[in-house]
Amino acid sequence: MVLKMGVEAENQNIEKSMIETANNLLKNKEVDVIIGYSKGTVPLSSAPIIIRREEDTDKLIWNNLCYVNLAKYLVPLMPQLCDSEGNSLKIGVVSKGCVGRALIHLAVEKQIKLDDIKIIGIPCNGNINRKRIEKEIGESEILELSIVDNNINVKGKDFEQSFPFDEYLNELCKVCKVKSPPNNESLAEVCVGECLEITSVEDDFSDLDEYESKSTEEKWDYIIDTLRTCTRCYACREACPMCYCHLCFVDQNKPIWFGKTTEISEIITFHLTRAMHLAGRCVACGACSSVCPMGIDLNLITRKLEKIVKGRFNFTSGIDIETLAPMTTFKMDDSEEFMLEED
Amino acid sequence: MEQKILQKDQVGKLYSELSKVYTFYAPIKEKGNIVFKKIENPKDIVLDYLNSKIPPKSVLFPETEVLFEYKLDGKDVEIIDRQDLDDKILIFGIRPCDAYSLELMANFFSFHGNLKDELYLKKKENTTIIGMGCNNPRTTCFCTSVDGNPFKKEDSDIFLTDLGEKYLVEGISDKGKDLIQKLSWLAEAKNADIKKANELAKQAEESITTKMDVKEVTKILESSFQHPVWDEISESCIGCGTCAYLCPTCTCFDVIDETDDYNNKGRRIRIWDTCQSCLYTLEASGHNPRDTKIQRCRNRIMHKFSYYPKNYDLLGCVGCGRCIHLCPVNNDLRVILDKILKVEKKEDEKAIA
Amino acid sequence: MPNPYIPYLTKIKSILSENKVNDIKTIELEFINEEDYKEFNYIPGQFAEISIIGKGECPIGIASSPTEKGFIKFTIKKMGTVTSSFHNCEVGDTIGVRGPCGNGWPIENMKGKNIVVIGGGFAFSTLRSLVLYASNEKNRKDYGDIIIIYGNRDSGEVLYREILEEWEKRDDIKVTLTIDREEEGWTRKVGFVAAVVKEVAPSPDNAVAVVCGPPIMIRTAIAELENLGWKDEQILNSLEMRMKCGIGKCGRCNIGNKFVCVDGPVFSLAELKNMPDEF
Repeated sequence: MVLKMGVEAENQNIEKSMIETANNLLKNKEVDVIIGYSKGTVPLSSAPIIIRREEDTDKLIWNNLCYVNLAKYLVPLMPQLCDSEGNSLKIGVVSKGCVGRALIHLAVEKQIKLDDIKIIGIPCNGNINRKRIEKEIGESEILELSIVDNNINVKGKDFEQSFPFDEYLNELCKVCKVKSPPNNESLAEVCVGECLEITSVEDDFSDLDEYESKSTEEKWDYIIDTLRTCTRCYACREACPMCYCHLCFVDQNKPIWFGKTTEISEIITFHLTRAMHLAGRCVACGACSSVCPMGIDLNLITRKLEKIVKGRFNFTSGIDIETLAPMTTFKMDDSEEFMLEED
Repeated sequence: MEQKILQKDQVGKLYSELSKVYTFYAPIKEKGNIVFKKIENPKDIVLDYLNSKIPPKSVLFPETEVLFEYKLDGKDVEIIDRQDLDDKILIFGIRPCDAYSLELMANFFSFHGNLKDELYLKKKENTTIIGMGCNNPRTTCFCTSVDGNPFKKEDSDIFLTDLGEKYLVEGISDKGKDLIQKLSWLAEAKNADIKKANELAKQAEESITTKMDVKEVTKILESSFQHPVWDEISESCIGCGTCAYLCPTCTCFDVIDETDDYNNKGRRIRIWDTCQSCLYTLEASGHNPRDTKIQRCRNRIMHKFSYYPKNYDLLGCVGCGRCIHLCPVNNDLRVILDKILKVEKKEDEKAIA
Repeated sequence: MPNPYIPYLTKIKSILSENKVNDIKTIELEFINEEDYKEFNYIPGQFAEISIIGKGECPIGIASSPTEKGFIKFTIKKMGTVTSSFHNCEVGDTIGVRGPCGNGWPIENMKGKNIVVIGGGFAFSTLRSLVLYASNEKNRKDYGDIIIIYGNRDSGEVLYREILEEWEKRDDIKVTLTIDREEEGWTRKVGFVAAVVKEVAPSPDNAVAVVCGPPIMIRTAIAELENLGWKDEQILNSLEMRMKCGIGKCGRCNIGNKFVCVDGPVFSLAELKNMPDEF
């Protein structure tokens, strides 16, 4: 039996070595800034932060609430990450596996140059499903969250509740196979910290069994039920590192392609079309679900897409820098049966 | 006496009586979120709640609202006006901050002389508000810093205080007092009930620990439009609409024609929009007056804490804290205002040095 | 009070292509109900939200003058979705009109003063309205000299040719037309608007200048006016912003605490200098 370190201790270790790496990068002038996570001002949150000076690196944290995909801030590159002439600074990005994947995939799509970037790899131990916990606690304010003995302890004014850590992770984190940023020869210059030598991902997608056993009508009902509370605030899109289009299809108005109301048919066309655009591009970070103010969980849609792409093209996004995503290229022997039938 | 008692198990009775006259809106739980919806079954009503996820502005200013409908016939057009603006609406169980926001919106929509938004104003006029004291404000609440109070009654027609097993019912406006008269079955409140309600109000007010000098913020904003603090404030923002859509005072909207070409008819609608979206100000020529995230973040804060006071002598914020605990990237309004408050101090220090 | 989002219904009476490229058209609208027309009291410089019901609405400056009776006119450049739809319209089509919106040119304050009209390109429509209004026989005595400087990229872009030619013939209006480059058959000035302003050198004494055009033209023309001793208070601009409602409610046309659709679109340079640089 392997003795497993507690989540708390893991977090401390991750944080300690991340700060050390960040410190060295700034000290050795290998980067100008570091983008990472800092402590949130409300429980169940964290706040992205830009660190510019060595002495500020102790503001960096790692806990299981670092759910924002930091690659988001690089495309389009925010002005805060540019020099006075608008050129990219050298940026160190605190990267859990899915942040690393996003950066690699964005480089594949020629949206960023990895020369300007250091991937500060960390061995992610998962994000807590904050929306699920909030919903289960319901109408009491959560004042404190801590992780003790692999349990998530949540405290409020007159209640205390414990959730098993493994069960209350994001669904995508539960099945994640790329916990640290992928590293290989071509990325050797880019990756620092803890990265993962990986060339392909094995996944049986058994978590989809239940969904796939549903009838078409049941699947449709599931999708309607999942999405019906959407307010069209687009937090999912804005948090998604792959949604960098200058003009999203839903905002197209010459001519108008899609409706923008909160009627269910228009909500569904938005989310499913966005999902289609993410086929083979989604890096399974789950940021879309973590940020949704209404607590909509898009994970199943994401997983299903990932499975289809894996099955048809044996492709996993953000693993290697050379291969174009299936939907951005074509091969003569591409399978085409999905054009006529799809489940 | 205008102070009555409503037992908690009498809410259904109240509903069946009032729903004959009013379209009855109250908080319900929908997929884990508290939202105000038209009530079909009083059992759905959830009154033991912190505050709704979507503010009740959605009752009078819905996410999608028809401005008018039209029929197309060759070169001719027929316009069909809204027919429902005279319906009587009742909003039950609304928190004081949100009740106040409906007043702010009425003020905004009636501004600019005769250019009034009659859609909102008509509905507001026909709305009876039954507010409910906020016994347990969140730690992110700061209504007392922005002209509010967890037991502010003046924006409600009738005000409820949750006394545990029952509600104290107080008539506030004439409209509310008249309505209470009609509910003859309500029991009289005892002095002990009123005393308890006052104690709860005091406790609630004291429990709000976030205190901000918002007047000072307004003053500083007057001269800090160009300040680099906005770079810092906008740093983590991802430009989504959460803060605006879930803000009880945000009123911006877009207008769209939806035409059913097969049936030659359609509707002109308005939908919520947000100044945080870069498309919001994008002109057909390609020019965009607020092209950067820095400008857009600044506009939101300036609007609520500088432009609003300048135009209406009111703050554009009711302190509900939704934007604080729901911001996807934890860009906390309290921290933002604190940074603004420090702008002046930094400048003072410079002046002294 | 009625629903402020319901437009008056009008019919297109005529459509005129204004330029060689054919991306600018002037449409003349006639109100279906006489009563609506009576309610539609406007002054030069105001705009209206005009719509093709089913396609959408957009703000367009009113090109006609209240002294022209029986119709209103709009000059529309093909830009976005709605303006492009207008270019596909035919005579007899129904058009929605809401307004008039905005403050308009300060025709009362301009009384007794000389008016210098400086325009560039397509942004001449509300200037047309102003000049027609001030030069109308009923109003002419209320205003001093009328000096027009109107520049275009080439001769094919000059709007309102007929009326400009009429004004050129009048001795109480001084018209200077210019195009950017020499062209065969062009007998008026050649050069940018700013250079012509310098040459014409309108005096700031007891005068108001109204300046409309592309941003670069506005900037350079204003610089010349300043060289000639003009004060910020004497120089007026009309701003364009994205708008939806036209009644100060939809939010997007704010510059600081002002809404262009109700507080503007006309602002003096002095006012603009006190506003945030977000237009």
